[in-house]
Amino acid sequence: MTDLLYWLQGPVPETEPPTAEMPPWGETKVVGKPVPRVDAYERVSGSAVYPLDFALPDMLHAAILRSPHAHARVKAIDTSAAEKMPGVRAILTAFSPGADVPWYRSRGRFYSKLFDERVRHEGDEVAAVAAETRAQAFDALKAIRVEYEEFAFVLDPRESLAPDAPLVHDGGNRYGEPARYERGDLAAGFAAADAVVEATYSTACEIHAPMEVHGSVAKWDGNRLTIWDSTQGVFVVQQMVAGALKLPLANVRVIGHYMGGGFGSKLEAGKYTVIAALLAKTTARPVKLFLTREEVFLNAGNRPANTMKVKIGAKKDGALTAIEFSSIGSGGAYPNGADTSFLATDLYTCPNVAAVDENVAINAGRARAMRAPGFPQGAWALEQAMDELALKLGMDPVALRLANVPKVSQRRGNLPYTSTGLAECLRDGAKAFGWETTRAAKKDDGPIRKGYGVAAGMWGYGGGPPARVVVKLFADGSVNVNAGAADIGTGTKTVMAQTVAEELGVPLEKIRIEHADTGTTQYSGPSGGSKTVPSDMPAARAAAVEVRTKLLAGAAEELKVPAAELKLEGADVVSTKDPAKKLAVTEVPALQRNQVIVGVGTRGPNVEGKVISMFAAHFAEVEVNVRTGEVSVTKLVAAQDSARVMNRLTFECQVQGGLVMGLGLGRTEERVLDRQTGKMVNANWHDYKIPTALDVPVAQEVLSAELVDTECNTAGAKGVGEPATIPTAAAIANAVRDAVGLRVHDSPITPPKLAALLAAAGKKG
Amino acid sequence: MLPSFRYVRPRTVSEAVKALAAEGARAHAGGTDLLGCLRDGVFDAKSVVSLSGLDDLKGISPTKDGGLKIGALTTLAEVARHPGIAKGWPALAQGAAAAASPQLRNQGTLGGNLCQRPRCWYFRGDFDCARKGGEICYAVEGENTYHAIFGGSGCFIVHPSDTASPLVALRATVKVVGPKGARSLPVEKLFVLPAVDHTRETILAPGEVLTEVLLPPPLEGAKGLYRKVRSRGAWDFALGGVALALSVKDGKVASAGVVLSGVAPTPWRVPEVEKLLVGKALDAKLAAEAAELAVKGAEPMSGNDYKVPLVKGAVEEALLALA
Ligand SMILES: Cc1cc2nc3c(=O)[nH]c(=O)nc-3n(C[C@@H](O)[C@@H](O)[C@H](O)COP(=O)(O)OP(=O)(O)OC[C@H]3O[C@@H](n4cnc5c(N)ncnc54)[C@H](O)[C@@H]3O)c2cc1C
Ligand code: SF4
Repeated sequence: MTDLLYWLQGPVPETEPPTAEMPPWGETKVVGKPVPRVDAYERVSGSAVYPLDFALPDMLHAAILRSPHAHARVKAIDTSAAEKMPGVRAILTAFSPGADVPWYRSRGRFYSKLFDERVRHEGDEVAAVAAETRAQAFDALKAIRVEYEEFAFVLDPRESLAPDAPLVHDGGNRYGEPARYERGDLAAGFAAADAVVEATYSTACEIHAPMEVHGSVAKWDGNRLTIWDSTQGVFVVQQMVAGALKLPLANVRVIGHYMGGGFGSKLEAGKYTVIAALLAKTTARPVKLFLTREEVFLNAGNRPANTMKVKIGAKKDGALTAIEFSSIGSGGAYPNGADTSFLATDLYTCPNVAAVDENVAINAGRARAMRAPGFPQGAWALEQAMDELALKLGMDPVALRLANVPKVSQRRGNLPYTSTGLAECLRDGAKAFGWETTRAAKKDDGPIRKGYGVAAGMWGYGGGPPARVVVKLFADGSVNVNAGAADIGTGTKTVMAQTVAEELGVPLEKIRIEHADTGTTQYSGPSGGSKTVPSDMPAARAAAVEVRTKLLAGAAEELKVPAAELKLEGADVVSTKDPAKKLAVTEVPALQRNQVIVGVGTRGPNVEGKVISMFAAHFAEVEVNVRTGEVSVTKLVAAQDSARVMNRLTFECQVQGGLVMGLGLGRTEERVLDRQTGKMVNANWHDYKIPTALDVPVAQEVLSAELVDTECNTAGAKGVGEPATIPTAAAIANAVRDAVGLRVHDSPITPPKLAALLAAAGKKG
Repeated sequence: MLPSFRYVRPRTVSEAVKALAAEGARAHAGGTDLLGCLRDGVFDAKSVVSLSGLDDLKGISPTKDGGLKIGALTTLAEVARHPGIAKGWPALAQGAAAAASPQLRNQGTLGGNLCQRPRCWYFRGDFDCARKGGEICYAVEGENTYHAIFGGSGCFIVHPSDTASPLVALRATVKVVGPKGARSLPVEKLFVLPAVDHTRETILAPGEVLTEVLLPPPLEGAKGLYRKVRSRGAWDFALGGVALALSVKDGKVASAGVVLSGVAPTPWRVPEVEKLLVGKALDAKLAAEAAELAVKGAEPMSGNDYKVPLVKGAVEEALLALA
């Protein structure tokens, strides 16, 4: 794993105790309601300024020259012609002063530099230009002459460890030793099984492809740097930039108000961020550097391809006796996570388990965390294997899963969950889907075959400290919420306003969120890992409770009653004993005197001795044309356990987005690298196929198990962004298997693959 | 980034012909294909000649013989929703409707659709392949999932157009105006196989403009359709497909146009299948036989043998739909 931890498994950081005592919410007035986004108008009207829209007077535009080769050494760079081009103001190469910045740190060492003389994948950075216009910058790139010495390359993780494989890094192609996990006695487990299935599954490499490309605008004031970044976490960018440029954290201000999607690919500063800053320094002008769409495909992260071998054994009644799981994947040309085994070791009760994750280097773009990194891949393998097992046992696939629902997290010291909704998701989802009736009515003839599939999943990260939120109540009763978290499109600002409104009774229109600015807002980790609601809402709640406590104390003084007797009712403080005793919030002297009441909320530590996980079960209906191999997904039902739903609308948006991404993994998305050159042949919207509106079924249902979880955190809500995409692809694969009796082991399930399989099996309409 | 070029917008066809005869001149109809090619550096342009000012090239009108004249600048959307085309020449209406996406169909023209450049990802990408004047065809040893199973040699593109196969099946003709005057030719003759010239897809000479497409009058008992198989629901070219233009008399096929798409560097007419169908009643057995015959002689590459069953399936399904 890298140092940029997203999937935190280590110890919880030291934290202050939460600033306010907060019993769990009972019935809520604002939280949980389907409230439209607080910034909906800005977003849909186009008035929201995204980093890509950002412009400063006198701003230069930058572009990056990238390696056209999969593996090579830069022998010489000649920038003389480019320097003379119109509008060109600066060119950076490895030899420029200040550009010798180490990059891609993992396990205590750096694997590359800002501009490395050895380029390890197509798209690796070679030089950068700042010019008066973007077109001039790109023209100048073409005029830079680079001499390369080309090397042999390796593209397939499965070939990376072969003795004659080209070395991506001189130390060898392994990113660390294989990660092993074991419990029980595997051999005994398989010996005790009545049925055993074994197969190899693989997932194709996917690209995040957010709507807004990656990039930054950088501007210096003396030795102080301000960066506007399209990012999931302003503080991570601040840390990485300060580290790279050897600046005090306080001198780096990163602002990231709006951003157009990241899906995990914007959890770090890019080289582009530092390059923009260096070019801005050299030219003493603000510099804007945003990637092209092609660059995003090549060099802004991906979900690595994984090959996974699964063997599962079970008793006749479905009780699992053993699971063996091995995975090989690649962080890419530079280290990043590629592990997939977690689900196999924790989703179902099984006493005997062994798993191993290999992460190797290849000459292709580096991976970045992508929505539930490792989990949709793991589900693709595990959940198809479970489906095979159900077939072999002659059991209903839902029943098989229900027979193995764990009460504790076996992977994490057998600790119980704060809440676990796996069984509810399976049962409620099956009911909403009509699992039993549709399956019973299924016909296996004709050219168009229907099929039904289920898959389950979990996500094991419940957020945590550090997170701090400051709430200010102004003299007129309006409220300012100050929080460092980025709203990555999930509705963070909206849910935070609801949280504060719940405690202060202030209407949402009177709440304004100041967020994602390292210079003016409070620290929060990056928005990823489905952690923003469970980490930042408790802090927001605590801050609001502190404001309320101070406000009631001030009112108590004025009304001469004990504070405990007072409550907030709309814009008034009222006595619970004597309704005549009341005072408008704006008239509370403490507020009038100071013009503001401030509450500071922190996120307390997670509950000890328990683990927090979210669960999901997805159901898919497909139609397969056995003549042509066409697959259409005609219905999806997602049953999610995220405990409290903070806002029904944002919740549904997350789940529907998760389903669409899962559909992409299962049906359409695949990075294709040319075996002859190592270059990506489909680095564009058309050839890299993201599902369109016509691929997403109209029939979609989103269910929430609505469990009451008073222990996960003081908001009672677990995350949803990631669990919503984990089982989808596997459910689709299982539905295809159900439809045509053939299993597609390798994602995505395309007409080419299915037509070939159907022809080989002699299937006809 | 677009290269820099001169932009001209002539008002008459003869002005356009003149402008297009200049070296490095490129015609711009809807621009949905041209601009992508220029931005991606597939080829360069010294000047871009907009056809949008040529009103003569717009619109659909009946011809004296009962056929239809479709101006080259008519958008795909107009072709797709024209009630007369849907009724008399359904394969064309369906082909136009199956192309690209609603936005692209509103902007893209029929002439541009026939003259668009291939979608081979090496051609469109940063590869100096044979079609761009380079030494090798990368598809031969490389990623050829979407390439040809018929008609390739030295280059293995598939023709990207969804209207070309219907037009060939319908025995349509095109009118071309150039420096040497006007000429008409069957759509089938518009396209060039790589064995003849692997650097171009049409026979159009510099300066030549495709001005109109002429549909012959519908035959008695005309039936037709276009069936396209693709990986995703929209915004995707054909993995394989078939255009059918049949006429049925007394329960028997009187004439047949059967043209495959997505399988060859040109629309791929299968005369043997056409011959097989004529004089017979269309039933399940004949459809299966015809489908088998349609893929006879296919020469799949390393990664596209799926196209054989896929196209066979599409042909069988399409014929049954007309039975
Ligand atoms: C994402 C995407 C998906 C697509 N999917 C499909 C698809 O599924 N099926 C399909 O068939 N097409 C598809 N297309 C191609 C689409 O560009 C064409 O369908 C469209 O009809 C082209 O018309 P245009 O007017 O925009 O052509 P332009 O871009 O203007 O021209 C295309 C080419 O033809 C030349 N040209 C244009 N008009 C004339 C003329 N009258 N005489 C001589 N030369 C001319 C131009 O010089 C240029 O080289 C897709 C395109 C994109 C970008
Ligand atoms: S198929 Fe044609 S266009 Fe594609 S790589 Fe080969 S020569 Fe080039």
